This record gives sequence, structure tokens and C-alpha cells, in this order.
Amino acid sequence: MSFFGELFVSEILGKPVLDPKGDDLGKVRDIIVVRGEAFPKVSALILEKKKSLLNLPWAGLNIFNKRIISSNNYSESLQTYEFNEKDLLIVRDIFDKQIVDANGAKVVRVNDVKLEGYDSEALLIAVDVGMRGIMRRLGFERGGEDVMRIFKKPLPYNLISWTYMQPLEPKLTKISLTVPRQMVSELHPADIAEIISQVSHKEGASFFKGLDVETAAEALSELEPEVQAAIITDMETDKAADIIEEMPPDEAADVLSDLPADKAKKILESIEKEEAEDIQELLSHEEDTAGGLMTNDFIAYPPEISVKEAIEKFRKDAEDVETVYYLYITDPDEKLLGVVSLRELLLAPPDAKLSEILESKLKTVTPDTDEIEVAEIVSKYNLVAIPVVDTEGFMLGIVTIDDVIDVILPPSAKRKRRKV
Amino acid sequence: MSLWKKIAVFISVMGPGIITANIDNDASGITTYSVAGARFGYSLLWTLIPTTIALVVIQEMIGRMGVVTGKGLSDLIRENYGVKATFFMMLGLLIANFGNTVANFAGWAASMEILGFTKYMMVPFGAVTIWILVTKGSYRAVEIILLYACFIFVGYIISGVMANPDWNAVIKQTFVPKIQWKSEYIMMSIAIIGTTITPWMQFYLQSSIAEKGISKEHYKASRLDVIIGCSITDIISFFIIITCGTLLFPYGIRINEASEAALALRPLAGDYASLIFAISLANASLLGAIIVPLATAYYICEAMGWERGVNKTFKDAPQFMWIYTLTIALPSLLVLIPGAPLVFLMVLSAVINGLLLPFVLVFAILLINNKKLMGEFTNSRMQNYISWGTIISVIFLTVAWVVTSVF
Repeated sequence: MSFFGELFVSEILGKPVLDPKGDDLGKVRDIIVVRGEAFPKVSALILEKKKSLLNLPWAGLNIFNKRIISSNNYSESLQTYEFNEKDLLIVRDIFDKQIVDANGAKVVRVNDVKLEGYDSEALLIAVDVGMRGIMRRLGFERGGEDVMRIFKKPLPYNLISWTYMQPLEPKLTKISLTVPRQMVSELHPADIAEIISQVSHKEGASFFKGLDVETAAEALSELEPEVQAAIITDMETDKAADIIEEMPPDEAADVLSDLPADKAKKILESIEKEEAEDIQELLSHEEDTAGGLMTNDFIAYPPEISVKEAIEKFRKDAEDVETVYYLYITDPDEKLLGVVSLRELLLAPPDAKLSEILESKLKTVTPDTDEIEVAEIVSKYNLVAIPVVDTEGFMLGIVTIDDVIDVILPPSAKRKRRKV
Repeated sequence: MSLWKKIAVFISVMGPGIITANIDNDASGITTYSVAGARFGYSLLWTLIPTTIALVVIQEMIGRMGVVTGKGLSDLIRENYGVKATFFMMLGLLIANFGNTVANFAGWAASMEILGFTKYMMVPFGAVTIWILVTKGSYRAVEIILLYACFIFVGYIISGVMANPDWNAVIKQTFVPKIQWKSEYIMMSIAIIGTTITPWMQFYLQSSIAEKGISKEHYKASRLDVIIGCSITDIISFFIIITCGTLLFPYGIRINEASEAALALRPLAGDYASLIFAISLANASLLGAIIVPLATAYYICEAMGWERGVNKTFKDAPQFMWIYTLTIALPSLLVLIPGAPLVFLMVLSAVINGLLLPFVLVFAILLINNKKLMGEFTNSRMQNYISWGTIISVIFLTVAWVVTSVF
């Protein structure tokens, strides 16, 4: 059958379908979709007649538009239908559900679904997420247009192409396209975190599982501790370990500290040994102290190397380190001697020794310094990071300004919860 | 599990049930209990027992749905019953909660007048503070305020004890009901149930549990939280009735408002009781005014799929911000306009609440028996008998309440 034009699913629900003689076959109850080439396509209509359900395959349709739907089959040749979990039904599985709009980076609710004819197929091309869709479902679309005309404004269409849709239900991912997955991974981690915090934990977890490891690691640290714990607990240990390994050690420690002890232990065991040791060390500090905020991911060089050597080394080392603006100068026992800022390093004569240009009077904190005090020091001296040393002056780690800001102003996804 | 571990689990999931219970005693609830005590002494105390049982049965189901599905009630209704049912329910909720907020601002205005502040200053001040606190402040600030505010409710317990009631009579009347077959008495007892079990608190409880992300393993601890919360609500009501029943009833003082109770208590029980009543009313009213508009805006926008969040601007989330702002601004203006139809609005809100409740409860029990959603956590046959029994009686009583409060 050829179907040209377009229609909204709510416009044909409850419409009678006629057989070749013009007799009523039943009323449209739902529509089955299957995976198509570019878009999901309609494979059959489900008709309801006197409480029994019939399956009318797409090929059996003769006319299909919002005024008339007719079939070239008689009711005897149609098979009865029974609802099952395998089929994907537009009304049951897509209508009213939440979906991620990867283009707009937000969670939307499906008010209606738009079908369009292409090459004798009916394709699911877009979902209606706007007021117009709600009005149409309620049967007020005309009325809404009239009301808006009084204000001299058109009732806007708010359609989002299926190309940008990332379903949250694992079942629907069967008909989702590969495009949204890539788009989602390109979103800013804070946007991903916001999406996850807007949906239920179960949906959030299934959405999260679809991300690649790198994006997942970045997005995870933007989430609330409870949500982090819920998502990681729900994951297989190997996958969870991959993500945790990708995170900076201080953030990894934060996530692990909120997990049940046995789960955290299992994850630590599957992480590369060196990384796991770093994390373990950080885990031993109280959460609201410098020790709890610090990361042991920093750059430290011996005093005797030259500026030129330091720059060469820096090129290699800086790739894996989060905060690179200060180079700490330590003796072989890791005792902190001083600091050289990146700027000073670049401006210094290449053959000078680091020991000649280092600043030895630097501000430090101990692991048990209160987090608010750390914030005050960082703010007072305009630092990007502050070293954490023990009482004997051995360097343990650094607290970076982004963690300090989180103390004063929790990150958006954590602060701006939808919870009331 | 060791006792300590159990306690630790409980502390981690505690909150939603207890906070919901506290907000449940808002201005209109306190009014009902004060009036009941002043008019009928201790003789209505027994109604609190069936009310508590009904509240526990209903809230336990709601809490269970929150834990198992991780979704709010408006979410579930939209996803399972479509846009029509949701739209009209949300419209009803909007009107009812608008009336609730009017009652809360009226309570705030009256208590401020008793404490010697002019309402023309305190109502705008309260409204603007709430708006700024929620939109510009952090949720953490709101949460801390909510938790501390719970302690102010202890004031009612203190005033109840200080009123020095005849405990024998109190206990006797609580457990051995002596029903008076007078229409006013019956209306009052139905009103107690009507103000205690409201539609919006079901939405509020389920969302806050879902949001907290309590896992199924900790469901028992969460149930304890809900049961404790329900009990707290009615213990507070109990002491309000006792205070008014001991101090006002013997003198035949009739009151119509919670604020009148505070005033009437002054010559009889001294400044302390009056002060406690006024401060507690102010607290309850303001809490209600913080939570109800915000909750309304969230459920409606969540159900309809509109952008939501207190950090959003009017441009990003127009529906959310307008619903939230107008449900604060209009009621606070109405309270200040002399001759505004406040009583009409409050009655309208009560009626709509009463009409909405049957639908909310029936949806709730249908959803909780949905295997696809709840898996092994559906109601057992016994639970279903109890729940249906409770729901049918509550529906019957609220409809009766609606009918009596209109005519």
C-alpha cells in the first residue's frame, strides 16, 4: 500500500477500519513498530472489536490517512492478537513515557507520535512533546488554536525528530538509532548528570550504561552521591571498575566511599594496582577535611633538573594529570621543598635549575584541616591548588580549586535537585 | 543484621515519611483539631486511632511504590493511565493546592497579628522570602529548615502537658469512644479524617522517597519511617485537641480559627500557651507555604513533561516558574485584600481535595497491584482486603465531608 503524507497517532486511535465491503473490522487500539532502515516503521495495527483484539498487518492496508483507514482483508483472514512484552507498541510503550532529547540535552515526555509515509512504509519520524500534543490528546487542539488566536500567537508545534531520541527503557533501545548514542556522548557531562537526575534511578542507570567509559566517568562525578552509589551498585563489577579507573583518584575515592563496603572492595580489587593504592590512601581520610578533598594526582619533580628537562618531562606527564598549573619540587623522600608555577617555568631561562627558581615559602595544609579552612586559604591567596603535607612536611597530595568550589557551591546537578 | 547496622540503615532512609507528616499538620489541619477540642472536649480523641490506621495503610502503599518503581505518583499515573486522567487530576490538584496555600497564608497572617506584627508587612515578607529561598537558595537550606521546624511542633505537646488535663478521662475517651449522634459531631469527626489524609501528600511522599533512591532491600526501614511519620502527625493532633479540650471546652468557648484558639488561651492559660499556639501556627503555615506551591509545580510539570527545576529561568521553564510563582503571589495578595472570598476558596479547596482523593487512592491501589511495575511487591490478598476496606471507608467519609461542608 502506498501512504503519502503524515499524521499523528492520536488522530487515528479509536477510528474504525473498514474491510473491502465497507464493514467495520474494528477500531484502532494500538500500533506495532519494528526496527526500520532509518526510522522505526509500522508493522501492524491492532484493532479492537467487542473486546477481542485483531492483528492487521501493514501490508493488508488499502487506505491509511486520518480520515479513512481501510483494509483489503476481511475479518475472517485476520489473526487475533494478544498483548505481549516482545512487541513494541506505540500507545503502550512510547506514549506518555520520558525520553531523552539528545539534541536539546533534556528529558521530555512523549505527548504524541508522528508518522510519515515513505516508500510504501509508515515511518515513526518524530515525537510531539509540546502543548499542541497534549491538546490533541485531550481533543482540544482546535480550541487551543482559537484561544491562542485571541492572543495573536500561533499554537507552536513542538516536534523532536526521532533521530535525536534516546529512549530510557532498555526495551525501546531496540528501535533507537545509533546517532543519539553518539550525540549523548558528546554532551557536556553536567548536562548528562542533569538528565540522569531528572529521571528515576532505574532509568538513569540504564541510560548511564549506554555511555562510553570516558563520558561515563566524567558524568559520574557530577552526580549526587546517592545517585552515584545507586548506579554503581547496579552495575557489573568489571564495568564499574573500568569507569572508576578512568576517574581522577580523589573523585574515585568519593564514589567508592559511598558504596557498601563489600562492593567497594570488589571494585578496588579489579582496578589496576597502582591506581587502587592511590584511591585506598585517599579513602582513609575524613570526608570534610583537606585529606578528604585531596587528590594524589599531581606533578612533582626533583630540584636538580633543569627547566628544559622539566618542560620535556612535563609534556609527557601532564597528559594524565588533572591539575597542571603548579609543579611541586620534592626531594627523593617526597618531602616538599617548593613550587614552580607553569608560568614561571615557561618564562625561566631553559638552563636554570628548578632549585634556583622555586618558591619555597608556600602555603600548605595538613590532611585534617577543615574543608572550610582550606577554602578560605585558597581564596585568600588566590591559589589554583594547595599542597597537603603531613606534620613532617612530606607531600601527600593537593586540593584543587574545583573541589574547593564544590565545598562552597555544590555543583549544579547536586544543588539543583528536582526534589522538593 | 546487627542492631547498630539496622539503626544506621534507618537513619539513612529516614526523612520522607517524617517530613511529610509534619507538613500534613498545616494551617487547616491545626484549625480543625483546635476547633474539635474546643467544641467537643476529649470526645473526638478516639477518631485519631482509625485515622492513624487509615493513614498508615495508605502511606505504606505509596511509600512502597516509591521504593520499588523509583518514580513519583504523577509519573506513574501519566505513564499508565494516559494524558486525560493526568491532566484533569493535575488541574484539580492545582486548584486544591491554591486553596491550601490561601489557608496557609491566612494562618501566617493571623499568627503574625497575634505576635504583634502587621500582616501588611509580614505576608509580603513571608512570600518574598519563600520565593527567594527556594529559587535562589539551595535545597539544603530548605531541608535544614524543614528538619528544625519539626521541633517547633513539639510546642503542642508541651502545651498539652502544661494544660494539666485529666489523663484518666483522656485515655478513656481515646480508647472507649462515646459517639454523639449529633450532625455537628459527626461532621467534625469526618473533617478530622479529611484534613489528615489529603491527595497532595501522597504525591509528595512518593516523590521524596523515589528521589531519595531508597533501595528495595531497605524497604522495611523506609516503612518504619512512614509509620513513625503517620504516628507523629496524629500525636501532634492529639495534643492540640487535648490543649483546647482542657482549657477552652469547659468554658464553652467556641472558636472557628486556629488563631482564635491562640487568643482565647491567653486569659485562661496565660501567655505561654497563647505564644506556643501562635508560633506553632506560624511555623506550620509557613512550612505549608514553602512546600505546597513547590510540590504542585513539580508534579504538574513532571506529569505533563514540562521543563522543571528551581534553578531555571522563566524563559527555560515557563510553566514551572509561573505555576510556582503565582501559587505564592496570588494567595498572599488575596489574604491582604479586605473582603476577599477566602472562606469560599478554602471550602472550594476542601471540596476539590475530597473529590480528588478517591481517584488518587483508586489509582494508587490499581498501580500497586500492577505486576509489571511492582513485581513481587504487589499487595498480598490480605493487604488488598485491608487497603480496599480502608480506601472505601475513606472515600465514603470524604464524600460525606464534601457534601456536608457544601450544604
